Amino acid sequence: MEGIIKEENSLPSQPKWRKVAYGGMQPGYSDNYTDESFLEGMVMNANVVKRDMLKVMQDSISISQYICIVALVVCVWSYTLGSTVSETTLLLLDSCLLGLGFVVLILTAKRLSLHLLLHYLLNIAFFISGLYILAPIYYTLTRSISSDSIWALTVLLLLVHLFLHDYSGSIIRPPGALTNPTLTSNISLNASIVASVLIASRLPSRLHVFAVMLFSLQIFLFAPLVTYCVKKYSFGLHLWFSSGLMVVALGLVSTLHTLLFGLLLGLLVFVTFVCPYWLIRIQEYKFEINGPWDEAKLCFDVTE
Amino acid sequence: MTEQKRHRILMVSDFFYPNFGGVENHIYYLSQCYCNDSCLWESIWCAIYDWGFESLLHSVEAVSDAKYIAYFFGTLPILRTILIRENISLVHGHQAFSTLCHEALMHARTMGYKVVFTDHSLYGFADVGSIHMNKVLQFTLADVNEAICVSHTSKENTVLRSGLSPEKVFVIPNAVDTAMFKPASERLSRNEIVIVVISRLVYRKGADLLVEVIPEVCRLYPNVRFIIGGDGPKRVRLEEMREKHNIQDRVDMLGAVPHAQVQSVLISGHIFLNSSLTEAFCIAILEAASCGLLTVSTRVGGVPEVLPDDMIVLAEPVPRDMINAVGKAMRMLPMIDPQMMHLRMKSLYSWFDVAKRTELVYDHALRCTDENLLQRLPRYLSCGAWAGKLFCLVMIINFLLWHLLNVLKPPEDIEEVPDFVYPHHQHEEPPNLEAKTREDAGSKPAVAIFPVRRSYCFRRHLLHQSAFAVETFVELMK
Repeated sequence: MEGIIKEENSLPSQPKWRKVAYGGMQPGYSDNYTDESFLEGMVMNANVVKRDMLKVMQDSISISQYICIVALVVCVWSYTLGSTVSETTLLLLDSCLLGLGFVVLILTAKRLSLHLLLHYLLNIAFFISGLYILAPIYYTLTRSISSDSIWALTVLLLLVHLFLHDYSGSIIRPPGALTNPTLTSNISLNASIVASVLIASRLPSRLHVFAVMLFSLQIFLFAPLVTYCVKKYSFGLHLWFSSGLMVVALGLVSTLHTLLFGLLLGLLVFVTFVCPYWLIRIQEYKFEINGPWDEAKLCFDVTE
Repeated sequence: MTEQKRHRILMVSDFFYPNFGGVENHIYYLSQCYCNDSCLWESIWCAIYDWGFESLLHSVEAVSDAKYIAYFFGTLPILRTILIRENISLVHGHQAFSTLCHEALMHARTMGYKVVFTDHSLYGFADVGSIHMNKVLQFTLADVNEAICVSHTSKENTVLRSGLSPEKVFVIPNAVDTAMFKPASERLSRNEIVIVVISRLVYRKGADLLVEVIPEVCRLYPNVRFIIGGDGPKRVRLEEMREKHNIQDRVDMLGAVPHAQVQSVLISGHIFLNSSLTEAFCIAILEAASCGLLTVSTRVGGVPEVLPDDMIVLAEPVPRDMINAVGKAMRMLPMIDPQMMHLRMKSLYSWFDVAKRTELVYDHALRCTDENLLQRLPRYLSCGAWAGKLFCLVMIINFLLWHLLNVLKPPEDIEEVPDFVYPHHQHEEPPNLEAKTREDAGSKPAVAIFPVRRSYCFRRHLLHQSAFAVETFVELMK
């Protein structure tokens, strides 16, 4: 070790600058010396993904699709409130949707597990009976709130729901999904449920309440799961399914009000065309710096 | 030599002596080096304290009455009084997340003083916290005369964060008090290898990495024992790990170790393990190396610059790599002589060297031309479209406040402190910090000589804005 120290001391008169902090001031270089290697370790925009327009547009379909689903729910609500749809039709619709959902789940599942199916069926049976028992409570829960407040709150809650919704996953953890639902998606689901409860108090009978609550919960809870499964099964099917939904939603909304129709159409165009273009345009402003000063990321999961 | 005017530096930071960390250490030892007559510099401290102040008072037998001070513009009157009264030539702020430091540098610039800033930490660019921090730093550094960083990586980081020109940024590392960190007098037997870890047990210090590495090392090498000093939120995880793998008898957890006892813990081991995820310099490695321990560390931040390659084993912050590095260190161990290592550290690092290099920076700063407000404003304006204008506004308001204060309480009314003559004679023997600390090392190692005769300490409190007008005057070292 003694030898090494001597060797260091007897280097030629103008030794090369080294990026080290030990050994005092380096001979021939002042402390504010900036070497050519300065900022050599800096990496710019290392994690930036180049996106192309078509791919982003295809990805945005999930959002348009869910917006249409919510628009359909709103249509059903307003038809029920206006007594265009009777409670029996609504119950029929509920059971149809439930059956259809199951068929989709079974068809898209990679391997059919009887156990999982039974598990689902049992849960849904509990869920429906619970809802039936609670229907009278929902019927009167928010009765004392004035109708204006109800409408305003419902719109607000639906906006919150759309804003915080987890468009890439599903609130019910599908078999095989890696991550748990996040806090925001839970808030989103709760907002939609509160909106349904608010609407329920304006309905004429308890059976109506049961039917509408069942319908909205089915959609808000299970529609993301079903669409997620469809998307995972086949992307083409997902696109066809979405465009079908869009046409139906636009058609139904147009019978409600022309302004609403225009709003929905504008929203869909905005989400599918304008936003992807916008995203790609602002990509060029991306400026990300990484370097040796970054905090190291752990390569394993920290479980508390 | 003594005829020359002594310059007084005001050291400003939120981090104050009885607490111990990199910044506190740096300020303490730097000031200690200026604590003699032969030196043209003398430092005065200014700090915010929160706890431990009473223990400081006990150790120096002084009486104090700390006052509450306000935030931002509120600190201008008190700092102005200190600057004038102490006849300060230069203000030296420490650490980017010390608010008092930013405020003091702002006020000092308004009053036309030269300022130097030392950055002790690294910051990223991505999260909201660091974006805010970097903007504040940009504001302070826009008008600083010189800046100091503790490692070359830290310099790169600071230049990127603040947009300062690299020529204005000096690299002056920390050092270690080799007199305090001496290796054990006799070599430990290598029948059992002891690996020491001393750090706060938090995420940033890589406590989670330890949880993965320790059981695997224990499994691979049956003659290894761990000593873990330090406390923190991740301590529970480490204890769980110990129980899960049934290695309670091979992993000692000491809890928090006071700085004065760090040396005695270090000398009971062969290898020092540092698992930090980010580190600008890492004094802990120096302390370990000075005690003759071989260091195994993660290759993060400024750590690769700290020690020559044959005194440290570096690894990526990945459990697999860390375990390999520990293995490599165990193979290197027979070649390591702690006494040699200690002597080498003595030649590589000294606080006197740091002090000398810092003096050069002070000289640089003092030679800078004086500028008036109008010359300085464009620099603030270039900090950003919105931020630039806001910064300018802040500086203008501060300037007006300063003039208002000059009218209310003219500088002539503030009494200046006379120069202090140190009791010991310097020309009998050159002042030697190490010799002094060595004498006292046995009884009270940390406060061998107190480096400043006066320090101003404040408590922050918004509700006591009116009570701050009189500064605290701690007479230390009578």
